Amino acid sequence: MSVPLPPPPPPAAASATAPAAVVPPAAHAAARLSARGLVKTFGTTTALAGVDVDLAAGESLAVMGPSGSGKSTLLHCLAGILPPDAGTIALEGREIGRLSDRERTLLRRERYGFVFQFGQLLPELPAEENVALASMLLGTPRARALDLARQWLAALGLAGMERRRPGELSGGQAQRVAVARALITGPDVVFADEPTGALDQTTGADVMRVLTETTRAAGASLVLVTHDENVASWCSRRIEVRDGRVVGA
Amino acid sequence: MRTVLALAGGPLRAARASGGAGARLTPGALAVIAFAVTTAFALSVVGGLRGFEGRAADPTSDVMADLAPTYVTLAWIAVVLLIVPLVSLGAGAARLGVARRDARLSTLRLLGVTGPQTVALTALETAQQGLVGAAIGLAGYGALLPVWTRIPFMGQPFTAGEIWVGVPVLAATLVVVPLVAAVSATVSLRRVVVTPLGVARRTTPPALRWVRVLGVVGAVGAFTVVAKVQLGFEGAVVTVILLGLLGLVLGTINLLGPWTISLLARVMVRRATTPARLLAGRRLLDDPKAAWRVVAGLGLAGFVAGIVSVLPGLAAATGDGDTADRLLAQDLVTGGILTLAIAFAVAAASAGIAQAASVLDRRQEYALQHLAGVPVELFDEVRRRVVVAPLALVAGTSAAVALVVLLPLFGMALVTAPQGLLLLAGCLLGGGLLVVAATETSRPLMRAVLRETDVRPG
Repeated sequence: MSVPLPPPPPPAAASATAPAAVVPPAAHAAARLSARGLVKTFGTTTALAGVDVDLAAGESLAVMGPSGSGKSTLLHCLAGILPPDAGTIALEGREIGRLSDRERTLLRRERYGFVFQFGQLLPELPAEENVALASMLLGTPRARALDLARQWLAALGLAGMERRRPGELSGGQAQRVAVARALITGPDVVFADEPTGALDQTTGADVMRVLTETTRAAGASLVLVTHDENVASWCSRRIEVRDGRVVGA
Repeated sequence: MRTVLALAGGPLRAARASGGAGARLTPGALAVIAFAVTTAFALSVVGGLRGFEGRAADPTSDVMADLAPTYVTLAWIAVVLLIVPLVSLGAGAARLGVARRDARLSTLRLLGVTGPQTVALTALETAQQGLVGAAIGLAGYGALLPVWTRIPFMGQPFTAGEIWVGVPVLAATLVVVPLVAAVSATVSLRRVVVTPLGVARRTTPPALRWVRVLGVVGAVGAFTVVAKVQLGFEGAVVTVILLGLLGLVLGTINLLGPWTISLLARVMVRRATTPARLLAGRRLLDDPKAAWRVVAGLGLAGFVAGIVSVLPGLAAATGDGDTADRLLAQDLVTGGILTLAIAFAVAAASAGIAQAASVLDRRQEYALQHLAGVPVELFDEVRRRVVVAPLALVAGTSAAVALVVLLPLFGMALVTAPQGLLLLAGCLLGGGLLVVAATETSRPLMRAVLRETDVRPG
């Protein structure tokens, strides 16, 4: 049973105030992210054995599968963290699978957003600076980045908590900050790896609602790795990975 | 006790267990290196003191008989000057071991391991590291002996026999270093024992209070007043009082250091326009005491450098004196520079070890940030700024304080012999570069950490 959703938060307002460099691109009719024949091996272990995936603009895709199935490796390849051994990956029609390490780092910074299980927030920075940092890395002046960060935090229900450090936030609040940080740059795709893995079910559902709604409203696509059916149910589509292959969609 | 022994892992086992990039340079290994450096230099200093005491007890010339007692006093001053950074490095090594075990020990506490068992476990593990470090330090002391025997004092270099500390001291070292390490680790662990959750939270630390400044102002003021007025005491009494107050001034630098760094950090945060400057400022503000521990040795070295800078003036003033006076003046400069060099070496070791430990402690944080697109160059710049900003502030300030404090003693000698100031500038620059070079040794470790792609915490 799906949880009744309140109206989506106002990311449009935040995006409207975003500098040109971080405005999310317009929606694309065709696949935004497309992978064909992805192969990745580690020593004698084949993590991906020819995977095809397409992701449309604004779509949310849950990648499921048991431990060791290759779902995290698939996320790493799609996100430009690992280069595939074979196959192609295209973002908006541009091949990204053969980029250098430096180019992939730039790609991740400018075009992607990330939400990990936990630990991605810098402990010495207050929430607003954790969010603003991502924008500052793209060249946004500090004052402007902080202003944007506060808007995002307010939109995600964290008004009044801007000055709190990660250690002073609950797990759910910290993940909302992570979502704000992932979206402030206006990414094409947000990658989330077990984003609710460290949360209880109620808080996890709350974070998933915020993640999926806000990502969609910001015009970004979402790739989410999980082994939890409840978490996957928040996505518009799901695929099952086993032994490095997509076996169910 | 059986529980403690079962839980205790030796440094080597800890090294294997940590795995990944850190397996090549574990916190345990870093602590061992720090204990080794501390031991080698501490033994060298004690050896030098023994050498001077030996010459005082059995002089081979009239000049030596005349000068040796003075040299013993000066050697004791050098020991006092170096004891702070050496102890600081040793204590830092003990804390380093504890820091990496915090999480595991907190978990053990939550699982029901008793406070005394937690303390005993930590003391045992750190003592093991201290023992290994002390053993390596003994070898280091032996390797340094030929270096020290090339430096002339009282007109002739020491022989290895003169500065050999003897087997009983070496044996005592193997007992004392592990013992001090265990005690230091135990003190560092208090917070884990007091509250099992205490080390798991990352919250805003309380700000350091400005009243720390009062202690320094009081010590410097007392020194200046006594130096000027002399309170009607005889010369020897005034010298003793001044030396005591000098030690007090030195001690209060440790009180002032963290507070000064927190002020610097606030300015850095307020004025930061780039991610690197913001992060560096926040990191310093988060734990100014840790930043101070890294540069404390250099703060002291800056103080020593300030003293050294007036010595050429003193040597020039005694240029027309007899052989003994000339030898004393020359050896004061030699001894000052030697003290300074050791202080810089210890500071560089502290900085290098602290930076490597920081990379290891933040390995997951760094890896996740990099996966999210943060360039490695940003981490490098933050690392550099976190060391260089307090380094410049502390070395410069302490040198200035030393000059101000010594002005009543040596007065115009500073102006009449400006080569001393040039020597000061050269020493600070060289020492600063040495410390920066030491921090750069953690670059390969950082690259290794960033190669980790496991985005889920272990």
